[in-house]
Amino acid sequence: MAKDHRAGSKVRGDKLPAILMASHLLEGDTVFLGDSGWTMDPTAAKIAHDAETAAVMEAEGKAAAAANTVIDPYLVPVDLTDHGLPVARHFRDAMRQKGPSIHPDMGKQAEFTPLD
Amino acid sequence: MYRYDEFDERFVRERVAQFRGQVERRLDGSLSEDEFKPLRLKNGLYLQLHAYMLRIAVPYGTLNSRQLRMLAHIAETYDKGYGHFTTRQNLQFNWPKLKDVPDILGLLADVEMHCIQTSGNCIRNVTSDQFAGVAKDEVEDPRPTAELIRQWSSLHPEFVWLPRKFKIAVTGAEHDRAAIKVHDIGLKLKRNDQGEVGYEVIVGGGLGRTPMIGKVVREFLPKDELLAYLEAVMRVYNSEGRRDNKFKARVKILVHETGEEEFRARVEEEYAKLDGPTINAPEEEVERIAAYFAAPTYEDLPETSQVLEQARAIDPELDRFVAQNSFEHKQPGYIALTIALKEIGAVPGDMSADQMRAFADIAEKYSFDEFRVTHSQNLVLPHVRKDDLPAVHAALKAAGLASANAGLITDIIACPGLDYCALATAKSIPIAQAIAKTFADQERQKAIGELPIKISGCINACGHHHVGAIGILGLEKGGRENYQITVGGDATEHASLGERLGPGIDAEDVPAAIEAIVETYLAEKTGEESFIETVRRTGAEPFKAGFAAFIESRTAQHEAAE
Repeated sequence: MAKDHRAGSKVRGDKLPAILMASHLLEGDTVFLGDSGWTMDPTAAKIAHDAETAAVMEAEGKAAAAANTVIDPYLVPVDLTDHGLPVARHFRDAMRQKGPSIHPDMGKQAEFTPLD
Repeated sequence: MYRYDEFDERFVRERVAQFRGQVERRLDGSLSEDEFKPLRLKNGLYLQLHAYMLRIAVPYGTLNSRQLRMLAHIAETYDKGYGHFTTRQNLQFNWPKLKDVPDILGLLADVEMHCIQTSGNCIRNVTSDQFAGVAKDEVEDPRPTAELIRQWSSLHPEFVWLPRKFKIAVTGAEHDRAAIKVHDIGLKLKRNDQGEVGYEVIVGGGLGRTPMIGKVVREFLPKDELLAYLEAVMRVYNSEGRRDNKFKARVKILVHETGEEEFRARVEEEYAKLDGPTINAPEEEVERIAAYFAAPTYEDLPETSQVLEQARAIDPELDRFVAQNSFEHKQPGYIALTIALKEIGAVPGDMSADQMRAFADIAEKYSFDEFRVTHSQNLVLPHVRKDDLPAVHAALKAAGLASANAGLITDIIACPGLDYCALATAKSIPIAQAIAKTFADQERQKAIGELPIKISGCINACGHHHVGAIGILGLEKGGRENYQITVGGDATEHASLGERLGPGIDAEDVPAAIEAIVETYLAEKTGEESFIETVRRTGAEPFKAGFAAFIESRTAQHEAAE
């Protein structure tokens, strides 16, 4: 079976800070690991500033995938805005944080406070 | 139109029940994602960047008003109020929830539709000429053949786990509108010297990362031998096609690596071993299927419609629409009408639920309750009385469906690209929108004439960029989106692959680059030559030179700005 996904972030070099992104099994929506469980809100994503935290978050993602809550969790390297909000460094991950560029009325950008 | 018999009905209903059970087991954890994924893909359900995506089969692109109204209902109830027509004449919903999909499949079954074999390594939805049964240059209607193949290939036990996906297209006309030379198998209905009807069989065409033009493996296959011969081709592919490397698993690679003659010999050898009569469809079954595609009851009408002529004389908009979007019908007094889902600035192939309902009414009232989806992401009303055209145009206009640009530079094919697709490396739709806006002026479009632009957002080529007169391929380069441009691609009977003009460029430079290419064409063209005819005559060289000059001036501008 062909893969229908390009899983993982494509960012080269420094991988921190980072957030953890996945797809919600039931809804299909992109979700982020927050301080207390998974959230649809990109501004509520928990940020790993060091490798240890990132590793813990990644393990939490794998456990959630094994528990059939999410699919394909992966760490996403981000830059922080002046307000400390995480913006994905790669344009593909940034598209998942916002929603389709051709439909500003759909996806996260329509439902949550913008990241930048 | 074909109607399900009791076997079709039962088969589709059973499949819905099976998938409902599979979803339940996925949600309660009895199936892991790795176990579930092949099952959902077999039912057309993908997971993309923002949500699941459901791909619905539209066999050979034929639909009726009842089906379209159901699609509108699903779009509003379970999605975000729109659907997207694809380059395989299918329809995709971009936002369904996993828990709703079994119910959606149930509703589709109510109108004789399903998502089976729209994904996975099986024989996919068979595509055909959107003017099937209408075109004057047609030997025979290709739809009964397409339907026969659909029935034969649906869950064919031998071919449900092929090395890779497998796509078949059928045309019955001299002019190829079904792109049969770039399919795994392309079939062309033709007559031999004795006047008998049969097929030219082309194998091993395809796009993707290794584009190839198909090879003729049989000049003439008697019509009643079709299924046994297809089975022979599939058996050779199934046993010898590569399974070690998915990028080399399509039949085009097998034909290429084996060599055309050797491949042909192997197919004939396999064919000789098969017991044809047990495989080929019995004559009465072929006739039963063909009866569903009998021509509608046309009225006896004069070729010219006074009503239409008078209306065109006083309404320039109607005049332009008819001149650009109509296709000559074999029945006097009728035409086939292309509805370009390509309003300037719109998403190619998108249709809102309201538009679906309005269009369903139009098809029901004015086109014998039938319409077609084209591989160019447009729709066709196949049988419109010329007398009715002014009314049809008014109704289309009211629904925002009267874009008079069929076949022109703004009638662009674009894959969903990075806006939705998990495989994409770059955006595709915004590039189409930017080009369409650049060339929005109708007089300018008309002066440029027929010019198919095709855009893919990754190397898999769902946007058919290799066979675009101008092809655009979006890739990632150095962490940015980058676009390569080709000219000279052609998906018709003159099939050819485009040639790259030079280095890739940034998204914002694409519209100006297309303008530079068009300028080269206008300078080089002689007489009434279309863009592709000019490229065929001159080769890519003048276009490369024009493109190089464009890059140079653009670089100078960038440097001056810094």
